[in-house]
Amino acid sequence: MLKHHKWKLFFVGMGANCVLLAGLAMADIKSWSEINWLDVLSEGGAASLALVWLLLILHSRPAGRVTQFLSLGLGCVFIAGFQDCLDEFLRFPEATYWDHWIESGLMPIGLVLLTLGIYHWHKEQLSITEQLRKREQLFREHRGLDFTTNLNGAEYLRKQLAQTLAVQDQANATLALLFIDVDSFSEINRRYGHQQGDHLLQALGELILLNIRRQDLLCRYAGDRFALVLPNTGRLVAETIAQEISATVKHFAYKSHTQGESLFHSVSIGLALSNPENNSADGPAELIERATLALLANKEKRSKDIYNHALGCAA
Amino acid sequence: MLTVNSTQIAGRYNPKPYYEIDTPFIAAHHWPLVLIELALSRGVEEHKLLRGTGIFCEDIAHHNVYLSPQQCFQLIHNAQKYSAQADLSFLLGHRLFLDNIEATAAIANSHSLQDALDMLVAHVPLLSPFLAPRLSYEQDRLVIYWQDACGAENAQIFLLEMMATALSSLTRWQTGSNLPWQFYFTHCTPTHIEQYQVHLRTQPYSHSKVRFNAPVNAMAIERAHLHLPWKKSNPELAADARTAMTLNAPVFQQGFLAETYNYLLNNIQHAPNLEQTAADFSMSSASFKRKLKKHHSHFQAQYDLVRRDLAIKWLNQGGLTHEQVAQKLHFYDAANLRRAFKKWTGKLPQAMARLD
Repeated sequence: MLKHHKWKLFFVGMGANCVLLAGLAMADIKSWSEINWLDVLSEGGAASLALVWLLLILHSRPAGRVTQFLSLGLGCVFIAGFQDCLDEFLRFPEATYWDHWIESGLMPIGLVLLTLGIYHWHKEQLSITEQLRKREQLFREHRGLDFTTNLNGAEYLRKQLAQTLAVQDQANATLALLFIDVDSFSEINRRYGHQQGDHLLQALGELILLNIRRQDLLCRYAGDRFALVLPNTGRLVAETIAQEISATVKHFAYKSHTQGESLFHSVSIGLALSNPENNSADGPAELIERATLALLANKEKRSKDIYNHALGCAA
Repeated sequence: MLTVNSTQIAGRYNPKPYYEIDTPFIAAHHWPLVLIELALSRGVEEHKLLRGTGIFCEDIAHHNVYLSPQQCFQLIHNAQKYSAQADLSFLLGHRLFLDNIEATAAIANSHSLQDALDMLVAHVPLLSPFLAPRLSYEQDRLVIYWQDACGAENAQIFLLEMMATALSSLTRWQTGSNLPWQFYFTHCTPTHIEQYQVHLRTQPYSHSKVRFNAPVNAMAIERAHLHLPWKKSNPELAADARTAMTLNAPVFQQGFLAETYNYLLNNIQHAPNLEQTAADFSMSSASFKRKLKKHHSHFQAQYDLVRRDLAIKWLNQGGLTHEQVAQKLHFYDAANLRRAFKKWTGKLPQAMARLD
């Protein structure tokens, strides 16, 4: 935080310090009996909360226009609140006006700046949401986010499915769920190490994201299994998308980090469709189960095919 | 009538040397290091991960640091708390036997599943120090029961997931297919059920199943799979590793709780009690109680555990009436057995069919 925002913090600190020094130089200190502690608590509390918000925002955001507005606004609000709180301890002579100006002038300016900042933040958030579109829909939950692939996990998938299924059933549309499993992933882990395996998963996640539509959602179910939700999709389109993903992965030449050689992969895909006619029996759990069964059946068939193919080559 | 307090009963099982929750014997550069690396690669900060464990990363590099079970449990606790990912135990399990290191080369290069399991049982301190495996051949299948060896408490689910993954991953690698393992866990269905599905390859309707809220922690497989030859093994490597393992084997074979269980199981016909057990473990009753407490247990819990397992076994085998089982387990009558059985398993003995 200090590296990016040292000047902002410096000016806020200097501002508060100047106000304090000027106040001490010009005003008399009130006696204990004159101090209204309730006012001190509320005004001081408001000022320190503004400071906490400022620090949180500086800590979590990169530098930029939106951060400028937000920190400037919160800085003004803080200094105004600080002066307001100082008032409780100091009695200013009748003739001084600057203390009122700081208190009543800075506050609206700060609030306007803050509003501007929040408005731009809102714009920024919309464009980030657009970027995240294929990774999250309907709602956001940062706690289930997978560290390796930056995709949402199984818990998110289940909640999302529950919500989407309800909408889809009302519209009498089908929803397709694809489970995508990397073939012989444990072999890759064993041969090239787990760091490589993690990188590969991350790359495959990005690759799949490039191949899906705007309204589709990709999650990492667990391990080497991805889950792809295709709303408003029938069997034909879902199968096409599955084939496209499978073909893309097949042609994807992942480069290992150690030797730089190309590693080729394949995926097995299991497809399940929701059944809008019979919605009472179809929850997220049933859909996930059917997709898993389809995936396992597909995997078994593929390994037999590969085996038969090897036999054919040998003969 | 048995004279319980006599020390001179023929055929009494005497306790063997055991390790305790604070015995340092687990090589830190084996799986604990893998766990540390995994957690660090998932963004857990080192000082948080190692807090309260007494482990220092610099020491582990020297290859002669040994950890106690207690330290390992703390490490597992920290890793789970700060990584917030439910797959650590499974990832660790995949690597447990297959990360070509000398310590596990012997089991990874076994010539069959039976051979691998025999090795697992023979080298508990090295291969499965926290969960004692017990093999039981029941009709057409082999059941491996997992028993808390030295008071794992909260780490138990993590350890069960790790060992189940380790064995299923080993068999998958060696046979090139998913063996139809059945898994039983006493804990209730976890929120990260997807990890079980993906890492253990279980499915409700296919041949590989997982059951939660089961009466025991176990995994089972048809006996037909036990003797199929494993093709990926390297016999020379296996022989060398076996020799090294036997040479370096510690003096003890089992954890304290597991050995207490062994003792009670093998002396059940003598109606063991706390005083006699403590005497046979060469300590006073008070010391024995303290030691059990250190391992988060007490005498009655261990005794009931043994009686529960025996009751399940005998009732499943058939041929014994409830009265006979009650008598063999030192219950006053069959009604008392039924009541206790209900308390232990949540079911009545008559409802207790085969574990499936």
